[in-house]
Amino acid sequence: MKRSMSLVLAVLASLAMSATPATAAELNLFAWSEYVPQSVLDGFTKETGIQVNYETYASNEEMLAKLVSGAASYDLVQPSEYTIEAMRKEGLLLPLDHEKLSNLKNVGKEYWGQPHDPQLGFSVPYMQGTVGIAVNKEKVKGPVTGYADVFQEKHRGRIVVLDDALEVVTWAMATQGKGPDQVTKENVLATRPVLEKWLPLVKVYDSDSPKTALLNGDVDLGIVWSGEAAILMQEEGDKFAYVLPKEGAHMFIDSLAIPKGAKNVDAAHKFIDYVLRPEVSRKISEDFPYTNPNLEARKLLTKEELANPASYPPGNPKLETFRDIGALAADVDKLFTDVKAKSGS
Amino acid sequence: MRQEATSFSATAGPRRSPGRVGWLLLAPLVFWAGAFVLAPALIMLVYSFAERTALGGVVLAFTLENWAGVVDPVYLRIVMRSIVYAGITTAICLVAGYPVAYGIGRADPRWRNLLLMAVMVPFWTSFLIRTYAWVTILKSEGLLNSLVLQLRLVSAPLELLYTPGAVVLGLVYTFLPFMILPIYSSVEKLDGALIEAALDLGAGPLRAFSRVIVPLTSPGIAAGVLLVFVPALGIYAVNDILGGGRVDMIGNIIENQFKGARNWPFGAALGTTLLVGFALTYALVSRRQRAAFS
Repeated sequence: MKRSMSLVLAVLASLAMSATPATAAELNLFAWSEYVPQSVLDGFTKETGIQVNYETYASNEEMLAKLVSGAASYDLVQPSEYTIEAMRKEGLLLPLDHEKLSNLKNVGKEYWGQPHDPQLGFSVPYMQGTVGIAVNKEKVKGPVTGYADVFQEKHRGRIVVLDDALEVVTWAMATQGKGPDQVTKENVLATRPVLEKWLPLVKVYDSDSPKTALLNGDVDLGIVWSGEAAILMQEEGDKFAYVLPKEGAHMFIDSLAIPKGAKNVDAAHKFIDYVLRPEVSRKISEDFPYTNPNLEARKLLTKEELANPASYPPGNPKLETFRDIGALAADVDKLFTDVKAKSGS
Repeated sequence: MRQEATSFSATAGPRRSPGRVGWLLLAPLVFWAGAFVLAPALIMLVYSFAERTALGGVVLAFTLENWAGVVDPVYLRIVMRSIVYAGITTAICLVAGYPVAYGIGRADPRWRNLLLMAVMVPFWTSFLIRTYAWVTILKSEGLLNSLVLQLRLVSAPLELLYTPGAVVLGLVYTFLPFMILPIYSSVEKLDGALIEAALDLGAGPLRAFSRVIVPLTSPGIAAGVLLVFVPALGIYAVNDILGGGRVDMIGNIIENQFKGARNWPFGAALGTTLLVGFALTYALVSRRQRAAFS
């Protein structure tokens, strides 16, 4: 009996020993699709020997659903600011060890002190973007400076917007003088008359690739992600302009964070620190021209990249982040669905 | 006609229960249906009575709130619209598909396979790619518009993309083969002597068609209607790509409950409703079929 017991222990011990190096040599990354260049993953593996398994999602909610269901275990996720707040509330994120992040100092000052994670104790900014107005200057005459200028009768059937209930509702709130930190049931319902005026004017709802309808000439202006607009500017810079709405624009901060239950916490830290290196972060900007929060990486960008107003908006625009809205998401969704259904044919 | 009817009732006659070997052969199918059809449907049913957490998790409980949402006018209107779109699609597919299926079924056997192949060739390309191809054709600066502009048929580009018409076009394009193939298989079995008999006995071509051909090919029509109507009701990609997401279909609403709205229990209630709707449609159609032949 005793012998068989020690045999079992020996087997277990050898299993554990053989398991340790195997798990240490991999990293399960769950991130947005089209957001992490393959060259960055390859570079990391080449240097550290850690194999990266890159799985993708298309929305914060999709990521949360998969994480909460516990169907798979991830070492690193890429939530946006309001999702970080929600995940922190539920204790779904592990604290970061700043000792292991020697390059954290490269992150710009303005990314510290944000309400979702003021000390960057749980998340490190990866890329930052805005939601703004893309205008085809050849087709749209007269100035467009805010949401109210977009949703005009003269633009009926020429507008593309993100197919995202919270985005659209917060734009309407902005025209009523309320910021995205004031999402309450009352304020949400108060946007109904604005949406009833706006949505019948919209031609296309598209969150995945809103630039397509603009490039194809099916619409003349729209409210889109800055990264999409930046590509428009790169391809046809003379034709398109990118404007941040004067009522206030949504700024999103996509970050890297380690979820609870991560098995390779050390590897996750190594990856975050690798991405924080200026020359690595610079590569990400090249493929995905959002705003790079890494100031040292920004120094390596070309003049053209820095002059792209969608990536690096000039002036001092009013930018606000989203906050976690919890169960109100259902109310926002229902209002948007209802007005949309009544506006369409 | 008589012969056809007896052969039908023979297959639908009293069932013998399968022997041991029969069960063994059935086992993979039973397992498949149980694990991938029945079990998920049951999970969906249970979830439809559950509550949700703020993060979108599901807490098993008993609430009727999700079911109350299903009959909420907001969503009921969308369900009705989906039924209308699916109905129009089915009708167009039937009217356009029947002559094609009849033509192929009555064609010289040497040509038949080639024609059938032509119906199926589009399946060799991904459905999404074919749908995006319509964007290229229909957009403002697209193929169709440059053609009609070149021919001076119109002076300004037509608004084709992101319209209800584009959605119906996309749906018909996607589902037409599902109408043609089952009708074809009915037409192929059709005994030409019966049509000749009808004509000899004084029926005009219209009468022969409505009294002889249609009843004899009705199993194919029923199968085609089901194969088109049911998926057309639930599909949402065509609506997103060709309709610009402007009008939500029931499929969009369900998708959204599992993603943006983080409300799985409500999505489950909507999904269950759709499933029950499909089952009812199927039962109705197959009962009519049985009634027609008894």
